[in-house]
Amino acid sequence: MEGDQDTSGFTLVTRKPCFGLPTACPNCLPAYIYLKLAQLPFQLAFNSTFPDSDELPYFETGTYVAYNNDDGGVIEKLKKDGVVNLDSQLQSLPDYLSLKALILSWLEEALAYETWVGTEGVSAWKIYYSDLPWVISKVLFYKQTYMAKTRLGIIKENSEEREKQIYKRASDAYEALSTRLGEQKFLFEDRPSSLDAFFLSHILFTIQVLPETSVLRTKLLEHGNLVRYAEKLKLEFLEAPSSSSSPPLHSFPSSFSRKGSKPKSKSKTEKTEEEKKFKKRAKFFLAAQFLAVVIYLSVMGGVSNDELEYEDDD
Amino acid sequence: MANPADKPDPNLTTPDEGEVREEELEDIEEEDDYEGEDDDDEATASKPQTREDAAASRANAQNLFRRMGVAPVPVRVHDVIVKGNEKTKDHVIEAEVEGVRQATTLQELLEAANVANFNLRALDIFDSVKITLDAGPPELPDTTNVVVKVVESQSPLAAEIVTSTKSQARSSTLEGSLKYKNIFGHGDIWDSSLAYGCDNSGEVGLGLYLPRLRGRPSPFTSRLYLSTQDWLKFSSYRERALGVSLGVLLSKNHELGYTLAWRNLIDPTQMASRTIRRQIGHSLVSDLKYTFKVDERNSSLRPTRGYSFVSTSQIGGLVPDSRTLRFLRQEIDLKYAVPLGFYRSALNFGVSGGITFPWGSGYKSRASSVSERFFLGGNISPVCSLGGPSALWGFKTRGLGPNEPRREAEDDKSGDAYERDFVGGDVAVTAFADLSFDFPLRWFRERGIHGHVFACAGNMAELSGNKYRYFTAPKFMETFRSSVGAGIVLPTSLFRMELNYCHIVKKQEHDRAKSGFFLTFSTPSS
Repeated sequence: MEGDQDTSGFTLVTRKPCFGLPTACPNCLPAYIYLKLAQLPFQLAFNSTFPDSDELPYFETGTYVAYNNDDGGVIEKLKKDGVVNLDSQLQSLPDYLSLKALILSWLEEALAYETWVGTEGVSAWKIYYSDLPWVISKVLFYKQTYMAKTRLGIIKENSEEREKQIYKRASDAYEALSTRLGEQKFLFEDRPSSLDAFFLSHILFTIQVLPETSVLRTKLLEHGNLVRYAEKLKLEFLEAPSSSSSPPLHSFPSSFSRKGSKPKSKSKTEKTEEEKKFKKRAKFFLAAQFLAVVIYLSVMGGVSNDELEYEDDD
Repeated sequence: MANPADKPDPNLTTPDEGEVREEELEDIEEEDDYEGEDDDDEATASKPQTREDAAASRANAQNLFRRMGVAPVPVRVHDVIVKGNEKTKDHVIEAEVEGVRQATTLQELLEAANVANFNLRALDIFDSVKITLDAGPPELPDTTNVVVKVVESQSPLAAEIVTSTKSQARSSTLEGSLKYKNIFGHGDIWDSSLAYGCDNSGEVGLGLYLPRLRGRPSPFTSRLYLSTQDWLKFSSYRERALGVSLGVLLSKNHELGYTLAWRNLIDPTQMASRTIRRQIGHSLVSDLKYTFKVDERNSSLRPTRGYSFVSTSQIGGLVPDSRTLRFLRQEIDLKYAVPLGFYRSALNFGVSGGITFPWGSGYKSRASSVSERFFLGGNISPVCSLGGPSALWGFKTRGLGPNEPRREAEDDKSGDAYERDFVGGDVAVTAFADLSFDFPLRWFRERGIHGHVFACAGNMAELSGNKYRYFTAPKFMETFRSSVGAGIVLPTSLFRMELNYCHIVKKQEHDRAKSGFFLTFSTPSS
């Protein structure tokens, strides 16, 4: 891709924020995290009127647009077009593909099942339809639920078996990933990859968006190291104050053991330890600045007086 | 179906008095003859007439005619008798002939009867309508009974094909419809229609028309429709709408309408520009529309005298749910035709303008919906289009105004500049002047083929989405587009066709316009 677009800025268009996440849509969150892991400054824009579109999220800069239904997804398209590629040397590794299959098929399937069927779409309603009038919301909700069931191959006769299979695979995937990860910072050595983006997105969504009664959420919380992995990455990459003009993100809960479905107003009022630390540091900084100014004035004020006397003498 | 708001044919109401009286007298004479021949007609008390009686009746009629010529003949309507309606309710017919009861003289009565006849035919549910005057009861002198005899349509199903200019599509459309008339006897007309427009728009719909709503003289229409408008070529989006619209003609000049529709904008090509990308999605439209229309021109296809004025006001989002589309829209259109006296020439002027803006929280920064914006250009003539800025000779459909580059194509064939989307304007103004004249040759005159020279100008600008900050009047005037030209107008029974040569005087970069020959098709605006 040509490098002309530096002047026009990067924008990622996703579905709206909710549940304390910058975007609560499980298809959009991986792209957001991927750009954050790559530390690419970008703006966030929202489309909350097209819940049944597979074009979202899309990344744009100037006249270049990478849609989600192009070439295997936004992240793949950004890699292919050379915008940002975190996997450049990892794709040849033997376990890259197997981890990718685990995350992008078994875990994604489990998440889709839990969102639309397992929890009866309780969270999906808030993510996708809260900005659409009731009539349209109802029709699209039924349509998307039906399409999710079709995609997952669920019919009346096999619903129980399919559910068991999906949860079993999810458990196995969590076990494998937990063993693979250990206490590492990233899945692959010490560098972030697109698989970290997908996996982190899955964990954040499962813990913060799905209700406490969710079977998948319970299974995930059994693996403490996965939770710690997500917390660390979230702190470092998603909660760091951004120097770009992106809109302020909602605050993340410091512990994942709290309720996942936290209303916006509650998260604003709760003061986290990170915020307190930040405010303390800001106070110290301001005090130091003030002291420096005072010292400068007192010292330089003495010097200027001397100069004036010298000039008067002349 | 005939528009009840139209005036009756002036030939029927304001002819030479002598002519109408003679016609009416012939009717009366025919009625007498008819009564004489129809032995089964129990309502008439007339006896079979001999030649001498017929001669006496004629003498009486001529006496009456002489009296009418001298002074108004006082008369009072005693009763209105309706015959021939098996399905149609009496009150439906009586409501249309109500005017005859107010007549106090024979002259007024004849005129009111003419109007009533026209109104009944306009209901479009009868094969024939005949109104005659019969003598009132003998004990009440100077009274008359008005007898309305109707023949209901034998086959309630009717099919028709019409051409029209739909205000939404802004282009000529061909519509085929199947109508089922008078199912419930209230003059109701149910229709299912299929319409196809020149701009690849299509609509399928079911409609209901009622001549009166709850006894009020206000024709009521309702329509359930599914429509598609394909703007991919011009603006990279396709609009689909499923909705219901209700309309009431409050009086001849005032119309109120309400639309509730689920609208979906999609871009299957995924090549849209930034502004259009932001608009893709679903929306619920609930809007109220008021139209004030005065059309005093002598013709809508070739006006040579008179004026017309249309004002359309729309407000969307009048429901408690703030998630419906909230917008305000106002259009104004004024046309004036001045006859010049030679070769049936006339000078037509017109100016029209429109503005739209969102309302509600954050209205300044929110972009208006592209479906509510104004677009100029197309294959219709400004002389005929009524209601809002839309047409400019020489500019292609959606061929001018704010535009943006589309998404870059992956297979970069030529490396040239990318194609552009025309995204419409929140404010638009157009003006035109047209001089039409007959050709000296009689062959052309007989067929209504005439010539015209014209000039037009127009411009649009975006205001919503914070773009009002960059709008200045001098810049708006500087960027006005204009064209001049001349051509031949060929009127047909369905539409008016113009073959014009247009010269673009001023256009902006990226406008889709060039000097050359153009065809336009216009129909009388609905």
